[in-house]
Amino acid sequence: MRYSTSYPDLSDRGAVLRVEHLTGPLHAPVIHDVSLAVPSGATHLVIGPIHAGKSMLLRHIVGLEQPLNGRILLEGSRVDDAIDSETHLRRLRARLGVVFEGSALISRISAVENVELPLLEHTGASPAEARETAQELLAEVGMSDVAETTAEDLARSSRRRVAIARALALRPAVLLLDEPTQGLDSHAAHEIDDLLGVLQQRHQFGVLIFSHEVRHAFGMATDIYVMADGYIVERGDRAALQASPNETVRQLLHRRGMPA
Amino acid sequence: MRFISRGRLAARSLYWLGWLAFSRRSVVNSGVEREVYVLGIGALRLVAVSSLLVGLIAIFQVAAQLAPYGAEPISPRVVTWFAARELGPVVVAILVVARSSAAIAGELASMNVAGEIDALRAMGLDPVKYLVSPKLLAVIIVLPALTIIANALILVGVWIGSTVFLGYSTDRFVGQVREAFLTRDLGVGIGKSIVFALIIAVIASDEGLSAERRASAIGAAATRAVVFSLIVVLGADTFVNAIFYFIPGLI
Repeated sequence: MRYSTSYPDLSDRGAVLRVEHLTGPLHAPVIHDVSLAVPSGATHLVIGPIHAGKSMLLRHIVGLEQPLNGRILLEGSRVDDAIDSETHLRRLRARLGVVFEGSALISRISAVENVELPLLEHTGASPAEARETAQELLAEVGMSDVAETTAEDLARSSRRRVAIARALALRPAVLLLDEPTQGLDSHAAHEIDDLLGVLQQRHQFGVLIFSHEVRHAFGMATDIYVMADGYIVERGDRAALQASPNETVRQLLHRRGMPA
Repeated sequence: MRFISRGRLAARSLYWLGWLAFSRRSVVNSGVEREVYVLGIGALRLVAVSSLLVGLIAIFQVAAQLAPYGAEPISPRVVTWFAARELGPVVVAILVVARSSAAIAGELASMNVAGEIDALRAMGLDPVKYLVSPKLLAVIIVLPALTIIANALILVGVWIGSTVFLGYSTDRFVGQVREAFLTRDLGVGIGKSIVFALIIAVIASDEGLSAERRASAIGAAATRAVVFSLIVVLGADTFVNAIFYFIPGLI
């Protein structure tokens, strides 16, 4: 049974990020009729097996793919319409923080230089000001001691923290995280969860996590979307997820040893 | 997955190259320093040894060809004629293609596979500005510098060959080099090396940025970068030589 995505709920009216009936990409659709909304200060989760279309959805939201149908609105401005306007897209992207799978830091420059990049590009800060702000952001994620370390020499969990600092550099309205704890041991994964919780409480940005790890559904996420084969097949809180009769949901919960 | 056409990549690289000349010190500038070190200093040993050997090979070959006509004594002059214009820039370009084209394409392709290119784009940062333009500027600095060094070492090879093996005096070698070596030839060689630098950096970057997002695409991008760069560099050199041949008074 596919979840009906007719219109976002009334409770989504204050959403900073809204995806409506999204189908894409343009020439070979992989995701179909996807709708979701992320309010400011809330944490939502898109969960599903590998190749369910989660990363493709993220690529659409950040304007890396052109949709066939549907709309993506960030603070009321359409991201999908901005793809042909580089200036408009740049302005919108500055309001999105993204942590890609594997962190995607620029490996040959230092941690602090990675964090400086968006500041130098978008804020008009001088190199000295950008460096100072980048140092503060690294301190906020507990990475001051590795500021001058080349990104490729950082441990995996450190790379993830630096990527979060970089994503938060422009004080985004929404933070998107693709598989934020993949490849980390459970201790490091919980530390990342705790860090995200603290940062979100401090800065009140919306969080949208894309993951195949069910543990996120039992963490900070309040609203959960289950994806399979490019469709949203279930939506609700964790109790709704556990009560769901949907086969994909039950398989996900069962495979992770969660009560199904 | 190509997000920018080859033509736009070349145009945007040149635009950011101009920007780099006037920009304040930033991450991009420090990228240039790093690339100059990797592409230039790292290639010094290869270029030095190769140039010396090319000088020796050239003097042996030319002397052998001229000997039946009794013209062996002017062998150093003949090699000097085309060392600055042709041998130096082409040898250096081929060595840099072999060593650095594959490295540039492989690095950008692996960044593509790791999602680093998408991350830059998602942050509203132009990968051409942050990744390609530092490499382009570095190659434009490095190639002419290596060409000058190669020219000098080719002549050292010629000197060793003509004095140690052919038995001519150093005075005769110096005299012939003075007659044959013209500053304008050096200028043409350096001009060529700047054109070669543009070709090498743009083709290698394009192959890396347009690589597919799978591990095997890294090697394929590196191979294509070497093959296309070599063909286009030699093609451009042929074109320039043809112009000089058919318009004798040009330079």
